[in-house]
Amino acid sequence: MKRCTLILLALGVLLAASAGAQQRSRAGDFPRLANGKPNLSGVWQAYTTANWNVLTHGASAGPPEYGALLATPPGYGIVDGDVIPYLPAAADQQRRNYENRFQEDPELKCFLPGVPRANYMPYPLQIFHSDDHLLIAYQFAGAARIVNLGAPQPSAIDSWMGISNARWDGDTLVIDVAGFNGMGWLDRAGNHSSSALKVVERYTFAGPDAIDYSATLEDPQTFSRPWTMRFRLVRNPNPQQQLMEFKCVPFTEQLLYGEFYKRPRE
Amino acid sequence: MKTVGFFATAIVAASVMCGPAAAHHAFSTEFDANQPITLKGTITRVEWINPHAWIHLDVPRDGGVVEKWRVEAGSPNTLVRRGMTRDSIPAGTEVVVFGYRHRNGSNAANGRDVTLPDGRRLFITSPGTGAPAGE
Amino acid sequence: MTRSRLVLFVLPAALLGVAAQAQTARTPWGDPDLQGKWSNATLTPLQRPAELGDKQFFTEDEAKAYVRQRIAAQSGDANIEADRSRGNVGSYNDAWMDRGNDIVPTRRTSLIVEPANGRVPPFTAAAQREHEQNLARAKEHPADTPEDRYLTERCIGFGGGHAPMLPEPYNNNYYIVQTPDYVTIMAELNHEVRIIPIDGRPHLPAGVRQWIGDSRGRFEGDTLVVETTNQIPHRHYYGVQMLDSVMSDEFRVVERFTRTGRDQIRYRATIHDPVFTTPWTVEIFMHPQPGELVEFACHEGNYGMSGILSATREEERRATEERR
Repeated sequence: MKRCTLILLALGVLLAASAGAQQRSRAGDFPRLANGKPNLSGVWQAYTTANWNVLTHGASAGPPEYGALLATPPGYGIVDGDVIPYLPAAADQQRRNYENRFQEDPELKCFLPGVPRANYMPYPLQIFHSDDHLLIAYQFAGAARIVNLGAPQPSAIDSWMGISNARWDGDTLVIDVAGFNGMGWLDRAGNHSSSALKVVERYTFAGPDAIDYSATLEDPQTFSRPWTMRFRLVRNPNPQQQLMEFKCVPFTEQLLYGEFYKRPRE
Repeated sequence: MKTVGFFATAIVAASVMCGPAAAHHAFSTEFDANQPITLKGTITRVEWINPHAWIHLDVPRDGGVVEKWRVEAGSPNTLVRRGMTRDSIPAGTEVVVFGYRHRNGSNAANGRDVTLPDGRRLFITSPGTGAPAGE
Repeated sequence: MTRSRLVLFVLPAALLGVAAQAQTARTPWGDPDLQGKWSNATLTPLQRPAELGDKQFFTEDEAKAYVRQRIAAQSGDANIEADRSRGNVGSYNDAWMDRGNDIVPTRRTSLIVEPANGRVPPFTAAAQREHEQNLARAKEHPADTPEDRYLTERCIGFGGGHAPMLPEPYNNNYYIVQTPDYVTIMAELNHEVRIIPIDGRPHLPAGVRQWIGDSRGRFEGDTLVVETTNQIPHRHYYGVQMLDSVMSDEFRVVERFTRTGRDQIRYRATIHDPVFTTPWTVEIFMHPQPGELVEFACHEGNYGMSGILSATREEERRATEERR
């Protein structure tokens, strides 16, 4: 072999080796459990405005009496292709939801946010992950998910947060979520799904303090094809902080039951 | 005799403190003890929700009228652990409900006893999933 | 001492240490392992019935008889005819209930172990006055707004979701997950998650109050000791076991969780609140829960609250009309 070819080959090998080594050190640069799997424990929060609208959106007004406080801020979307492939009836439903969002959004009523919405609300979530157990607690409404790491469990009845069954794909945690009741919204803009929804989540570390999250949504009653959203979960830099309680039920009682309150005698 | 009396009083005292009527919910506030009711109808759907499942019935009345009723039941979670699913009680199941009418006057009642027309309980009790006998 | 003799001396001691550790299951980082799905359902009542006087424990025979009679007394199905004749609204069929099918394995006659009479200690005079005022007000205003109703009816909290963890008539299921810095206890009822840091950090500031309180834990030997403060005081706090009480700002609970066997966690909780004349302690034994925890989305389906309020408004309307 000619000398320059040999040198090029050697350089190529060295380049590949160093790139591989860099990848390995990035890939290994996050905590692991005793069993060697990535350890997702920690307090995390999504770096996104998706809870207002999962698609790219400009600023818009809220109820006028609340001025800028309840206006919708602008933000980039998190959806591949920046479009949700609604079936025609479902697209109509989304438009109706949007028109009635300040009365009908389940978030308004302090209802459980469902999956994936719970992960991109502007509040922290805390993951408790040990070799055989995985629990995700959300600050909003005290929502919580038990993620089954063993044999998959079917969902017997419908629920707001679904049933979560996890498996590993290398260093990526894949969670299959199903058994939804179809009453949740995907954001404050009225994007929605039905009880036929299935979500496949993927959690992959991007360094020690960040998780790249994606969710693929499939719902033949609502969407013409599956679609995927992606964003980053960022670790709370203060390890002394855990979730605080955000039980919003008392703040919604007047809204939900006010018509039945006792009126003072005139 | 003494022992029996002693236990009998103890049981009565205990059940006064935490009998089934207490649950998490003062049923007598919602349902009227002076309006017992028996409904014979067909299940149209069951909402398997918390804190109470709701059984929706079509109840035929005289003159060909069909009234729509809803019956309050318990938390479905215990039944799920006993093998119940969303498909366990199909629409069309005929039931007899004994309970008490809702005080607000609507077509609602609590499902004090829900049976099939042949008298069998609709919701099956199986041995509790509670404490084992001793450690 | 020669080296070989030292080994003979040290080796058995080391083996004893290893054997002792092996008896308590341990997490990979060496803490006692409390993880898994547990239930604290029990037929033992919170308070010893007054008729049992000083009787702290049942004999084996008494226990068997008591279990049979307790199941019968609580049986909604067995009492339907009695309820019908007394006009007792009751609730629903037994199938929905899960109060457990045995008493605590110690055969104690109450969950309360201190004071010795197995009953909640009396209130102080001031607290008793407040309690009576609360009860009187509740009679006059049973349901003006949801704030007049129990925390369970409002879907804010049940007996097991906070300290002390007291059983309810069903769904007494818990999921415990541990990491090196936290013990987390999820209660099925109301999907409560108690997050208990065990790294020695201080409590939240005194002005921050939570329905679930604020808990801090540490392991003392094989026992997890948890102190809970920062509680929002509320008179309907203890779940179905004590539907009405009085609470002060100084309410504090110290809990002790010990894995006493493969299938058992012994739970002790001492309630410190100056409204009571003395602190009081409960002891409950948690046993494995073989099934899954099922979502308990309470607030989302709370027809009961609109039902209670609308029913009371209708009763008031009828009473007003009758007076005309």
